[in-house]
Amino acid sequence: MLKTIQLDKHFGSHQALKAISIDVKPGEIYCLLGANGAGKTTLINLFLNFLQPTGGQVLVNGRDVQQYPLESKRDIAYIPELVMLYGVLSGLENLEYFAALATGEKLPRDKLLSLLQGAGLDATAADRRVSTYSKGMRQKVGIAIAMAKNAKALLLDEPTSGLDPKAANEFSQLLTKAKDSGVAVLTTTHDLFHAKQTGTRIGIMRRGELLTELNSADVSHSELESLYLQYMEA
Amino acid sequence: MLSLIARREFTEFCRDGRLFWTGGIILLLLLTALAVNWQHQRTADAERLAAQTLDYDDWVNQEARHPHDAAHQGMHVFKPQSALSMLDPGIVPYVGSTLWLQAHRQSEVKFRPAQDATGLQRFGNLSPAWVIQMLGPLLVIILGFNAFAGEREQGTLRQTLSLGISPYQLLWGKALALAIGLGLLLLPTLLFAMGMIVFTMSGNAMVDALWRTLWLGLGYSVYLGIAIFVVLAVSAKTATSRMALAILLGVWIVTTMIAPRAISDASRIWHPNPTRYEFTASLDNDLGNETRKAWMENFGSDQRWGSEVGIDQWGKALEVDDKAGYKALDHQFHKLWDTFDSQQRVQEWAGFVVPLLAIRSFSMGVAGTDFANHRDFSVAAENHRRIMQDKVSHDLVEHADGHGDHHFDYKSTREFWATFPKFTYALPDRKFALAHNTLSLAILVIVLLAAMVLAHRAVMPRKA
Ligand SMILES: Nc1ncnc2c1ncn2[C@@H]1O[C@H](COP(=O)(O)OP(=O)(O)O)[C@@H](O)[C@H]1O
Ligand SMILES: [Mg+2]
Repeated sequence: MLKTIQLDKHFGSHQALKAISIDVKPGEIYCLLGANGAGKTTLINLFLNFLQPTGGQVLVNGRDVQQYPLESKRDIAYIPELVMLYGVLSGLENLEYFAALATGEKLPRDKLLSLLQGAGLDATAADRRVSTYSKGMRQKVGIAIAMAKNAKALLLDEPTSGLDPKAANEFSQLLTKAKDSGVAVLTTTHDLFHAKQTGTRIGIMRRGELLTELNSADVSHSELESLYLQYMEA
Repeated sequence: MLSLIARREFTEFCRDGRLFWTGGIILLLLLTALAVNWQHQRTADAERLAAQTLDYDDWVNQEARHPHDAAHQGMHVFKPQSALSMLDPGIVPYVGSTLWLQAHRQSEVKFRPAQDATGLQRFGNLSPAWVIQMLGPLLVIILGFNAFAGEREQGTLRQTLSLGISPYQLLWGKALALAIGLGLLLLPTLLFAMGMIVFTMSGNAMVDALWRTLWLGLGYSVYLGIAIFVVLAVSAKTATSRMALAILLGVWIVTTMIAPRAISDASRIWHPNPTRYEFTASLDNDLGNETRKAWMENFGSDQRWGSEVGIDQWGKALEVDDKAGYKALDHQFHKLWDTFDSQQRVQEWAGFVVPLLAIRSFSMGVAGTDFANHRDFSVAAENHRRIMQDKVSHDLVEHADGHGDHHFDYKSTREFWATFPKFTYALPDRKFALAHNTLSLAILVIVLLAAMVLAHRAVMPRKA
């Protein structure tokens, strides 16, 4: 579903991605681990066709994202590190707008409220302007937008950054539910515990290279931690 | 999808108060200008009608006198005001609307056509046309400068595009929102004007005025459409909304204040019109030549009013002299007017770069307040003057020349004065206006299409 083949990305002389090949299948949660600057966000941007690859290919649902920029995006729901919303609109209005853009239909208010609730946003905040929201609250609206889209694939760039532990936990449950209904999930994270807990597969990146891939079922949390640190120090 | 995007954008205009404050002030200005102009026009119309009637009564009620004296007193003719001068008074405030028809000489045209009066100079007489031409684009800038640049800064553009929305859809949705915002200015103004037309006019004149209003609406929609797409293109191309605003304000100042002035100067360098002094000298010269030729043919001497022609031929001489001048007058005046026309044409073509010039020309033309209308009136007035003059000469030839040395004792009476027709002139109808303004409208439409292409290219996803 989310696939790259020998993907290279240069920024001038700097090579941000080196021959990355990954394949996230429906019903999988793929967690990308790696230090800041490893190239995780760059990889996500390539899936969204916000960046063009220097070499190799990016496929979403079997389609090259450069040839099908709009179609491939319609198969994806994306939650960035920082969800950006319209400040003068309320959280509910933002959700209503983006969900309608994504699905082509206007959702009724109670449906929107239940989506926000599902993402962990306090019902009393739904009608307040987003300019008064904290980072975590915006993140929750972003999650609700992604869920409303009902996409075949989820692209998540450190989605739980800024979320309180309870919300992060609820989010993990949402991801698991999505996985169970056949959604392919690619998420970047710094949270090894979360990766082990919800992820089905884990990839470790360093300076643009994918060093290893493993099944999360095959390792314990402490094994994963020591493996990760080992790679980072090498 | 478009309406969704437009509605969101529009909500933002409303919530941050931009539309209310800027748009509200401009709308207030528009409606005030319209009401003031309308009031002014009603008074002027009433005065014109009264003056025209009084003047003709004065003519008919003259005491018995030598007809040539009467011809020197002459008649005043008043140009009817176009109903739409309340929207666009055009050049009327500069060229006036009264002509004095008197013996021998065609009335002077004003040597300062409104083409000179650009930008701030016209601020003196605030008209709805001026407000839309100058401030309409400014409102588009204020509402639209951050359409793309601001969303890029906020990150919402990324969020939107990540949903698989085409940037072209986004462009048209934003354009629609701006169009609705501007429609909130244009529509009430047009409806207000149409209301007054229906309220105060009737019959064909009303239908004509309503059509003209619709045409004006079309012209201004195209003009503001250009502004919308240019603003969106710049906003899409610039990195920050601050930069977009700076660029757009610069473009606004250049295209509404500096360039019109410069192009108006250029048009006069290209097609120089004579000064009043030069014109009079050249006209006198031509008149002299033509009349001397005619005197030679008719009286065997080129000494005008010389002793060779007796007083018993005074009426004949007058007729010969005046008629000989018609050709020279026609030639000189049409040459002058053609020069003004060519200057105007240069400005219309410059509309490709400065759309303000094209819409100004279109607007005046459709409102019936441009130079072409003034020229039509001047020609009609001159024809009327010649009818009067010829009647007088003819009367002298018939009745006075026979008196020999007692020529100047002849007096005409009321019966004769009453045979002079009234000056009945109606402004050309809308067909005339459209025929004279297809060029400027075509230019506006072409510029609009170009602006659309520009905007499409500006939002096109960048290829690495
Ligand atoms: N637009 C860009 N231009 C130049 N360099 C970039 C750009 N985006 C990212 N980089 C560089 O690419 C590398 C990977 O960045 P990124 O993908 O953001 O890392 P991560 O998300 O893993 O922290 C970094 O060295 C970063 O400086
Ligand atoms: Mg990152």
